[in-house]
Amino acid sequence: MERKYEVMTPDQINNSPKEKPIVLELRKVAKTFQSDTGAKVKALEDVNLRVHQKEFVTLVGATGCGKTTLLNLIAGLDTADEGSLRLGQGLRFGDNIAHVFQHYTLFPWRTAVSNIAFGLQMRGVPRTERHNRAAVLLAKVGLKGFENAYPHELSGGMRQRAAIAQALAIEPKLLLMDEPFGAVDDSTRTELQQMLTDIWQENQITILFVTHNIDEAIVLGSRVLVFSERPGKIAYEFKIDLPRPRDGMTDEFTKLFIQIRTALSGQLD
Amino acid sequence: MNQPWIFPPVTRVIDQLVHPLREHYASGSLLSNTFISLLRVLLGFVLAAAAGISLGIAMGSIRIVRSSLEPIVEVLRPLCPIAWLPFAIAVFKRGTLPQLFGFGYTRTVFDQVQLGMVFVIFVGGFFPILTNTLDGVTGVRRNYLLLAQALGAKPRQVFLHVYLPASMPMILTGLRQGLGLCWFVIIAAEMLPGAESGIGYLLIYASDNAAMDIVIAAMLIVGSIGALLSLMMRKIMSGLVRWHGKEI
Repeated sequence: MERKYEVMTPDQINNSPKEKPIVLELRKVAKTFQSDTGAKVKALEDVNLRVHQKEFVTLVGATGCGKTTLLNLIAGLDTADEGSLRLGQGLRFGDNIAHVFQHYTLFPWRTAVSNIAFGLQMRGVPRTERHNRAAVLLAKVGLKGFENAYPHELSGGMRQRAAIAQALAIEPKLLLMDEPFGAVDDSTRTELQQMLTDIWQENQITILFVTHNIDEAIVLGSRVLVFSERPGKIAYEFKIDLPRPRDGMTDEFTKLFIQIRTALSGQLD
Repeated sequence: MNQPWIFPPVTRVIDQLVHPLREHYASGSLLSNTFISLLRVLLGFVLAAAAGISLGIAMGSIRIVRSSLEPIVEVLRPLCPIAWLPFAIAVFKRGTLPQLFGFGYTRTVFDQVQLGMVFVIFVGGFFPILTNTLDGVTGVRRNYLLLAQALGAKPRQVFLHVYLPASMPMILTGLRQGLGLCWFVIIAAEMLPGAESGIGYLLIYASDNAAMDIVIAAMLIVGSIGALLSLMMRKIMSGLVRWHGKEI
């Protein structure tokens, strides 16, 4: 089931008519940061990645391995030093690529419904319409009745629900998620994972999900990418065919878990 | 304590307070002079708010504006606003608000709004509003800028929907401090030679006439209005920024 991640050639990328359209393609992407002391830190090196429409890709790696950097590059919040990053047809930064962060996911000065409507407001959608659409999404993520609550009046889990609704409001084709459930308790996390899976199954949406939690990566992903540390690069790829909803207690799940954990510690092969 | 010209009986102070319309030495009543002071403060404060907030935002978001203006601001800021009075009188002479707009002498309360006085009030309110706005704008979390950007906000929208609301608590703090200082400064300015109306003027005039009951009544009025202004700003603040101090 596991195989070492392969570097793609241009032929492979262009000659895959049977597959679904490509949403995202990264080739030999590298990124170096300069620390305050002037030392150069290579955050990403030779990252190759192709994501197809309707995939749910989870990216697992240790904290500080460059996962967030990679996500920021894809979101257009930062630029790569080397390599190429191509978005599939119809995808544009600041338009239909949404981003859910771990912290500061909502504007504290806006109510839940107004937070969800933010993206629509930026696109010039009239007030009544955007609030109606936001209210529908709010109900969809299970926050009915909290329309006028401010973020500080919501629990951590509720805030992440609202953040997901906020991202969905702009009708993204690609949803980038940076450890969105990293700060909530376990039972809330399970609920949120189930909700996200449902949303993914119901919509034509591609998700790239970053986590350091192996369980989460397996529960959610149709493909798990294992990130190696310093410089960060994709070291392994695991295809997950387990039926959903996924049960963490099964033998297959446990076997995968062990393999991914071994891969993470760099001891696979 | 047995010197009624220093410590008048409480009854006489109360008598002054319950008769705020009583005329004193042809210089107006407690109420009319209070009104004149408030009018001057209001005008100076509004100008200070407009200038302080816009300049604060400009300095906070444009580096070159900040680096070129900050040294000047830092030198002028610690200066007591009253120190500007000679300069203000020299520039504005005895010009009043109606004169500025070509109305000459209007026989209204606006004739008492001398531009020099307004300028000193303006200086008093300007610096706390400026520095608080500047701190507010520079303190905006980068995460909120990224979030807005990720949701498709254009630079102008980021300004309007992130910078402005995120720095609103600090702007309002600046306004509250600024208004307090404006009220502080007007009393001092009106007590100086050259003034001929206002609650500060009445206070010093009554003192010259050994009318300590009026002095104390005026002090009580000044203090109460200062407290009321502060309370009002607090109410506005908590109404406008319910989320303040509860950032997540």
